[in-house]
Amino acid sequence: MAATRTRRTPAPGAGLRLRILLFAAARTAVGTRSFEWPVPAQGTTVRELLAQLSEAHPSLSPVLAHSRFFRDGRAVTRRDERVKPGEEFAVHPPYGGG
Amino acid sequence: MSARLSLRPLSVAAAYRELADPNLGGIVVFAGRVRSDPTPAGPVVALLYEAHRAPALQVLSDLEHEVQRRFGAGRTVAWHRVGRVRVGEVAVIVGAACGHRDQAFAATRFLIDRLKRNVPVWKEVRARRARPPRPRPTRRRARSTG
Repeated sequence: MAATRTRRTPAPGAGLRLRILLFAAARTAVGTRSFEWPVPAQGTTVRELLAQLSEAHPSLSPVLAHSRFFRDGRAVTRRDERVKPGEEFAVHPPYGGG
Repeated sequence: MSARLSLRPLSVAAAYRELADPNLGGIVVFAGRVRSDPTPAGPVVALLYEAHRAPALQVLSDLEHEVQRRFGAGRTVAWHRVGRVRVGEVAVIVGAACGHRDQAFAATRFLIDRLKRNVPVWKEVRARRARPPRPRPTRRRARSTG
């Protein structure tokens, strides 16, 4: 099943992972604050990563459509940026401060 | 410049002190407080704020730089609470000190509008369902057996 992929599918290039951080509606959709995600040694594009996450967690898909993304604390500006093993990839649903 | 995410209560007086400068004649401080809005689950009693800390502080700091550039603000504050903030408590303070009032008002308005749109902070509502009235204890009268 796609939803079990986070835990059971071996990484392509075993042991290479990035950390997914979820906030607010994204966390509610998946039910966890963070998890590890397999990634090849050369990394993967933001576009590919979002497609994989949507497939694994269909409830996250509508949240991703309205979210901003950060790699190691820096805002993602292009979907063809490569996310590399060891990085932190944060999903920011629409903000609600103030 | 002063960007801050705080677990502790925010003080308007402290923000004013931070902005005070003998060369700056206009100071505007905006404080946003938690309201007791009605919700289907009952009235709001608190908001639970969460931030992605490093990016939030970076965006706050970038905002202050922008305000200084655009409006000539000499001093700014951009403070936000995190954690549980009860009704009536201050959740956010922004402010600017400029040479004159027009810039100070415009700078402060700009700060709060951009903060709400661009700073990675989220809130969850904590509401309290109104309790049904407690039944009165019934009093038993002692019966006379005589």
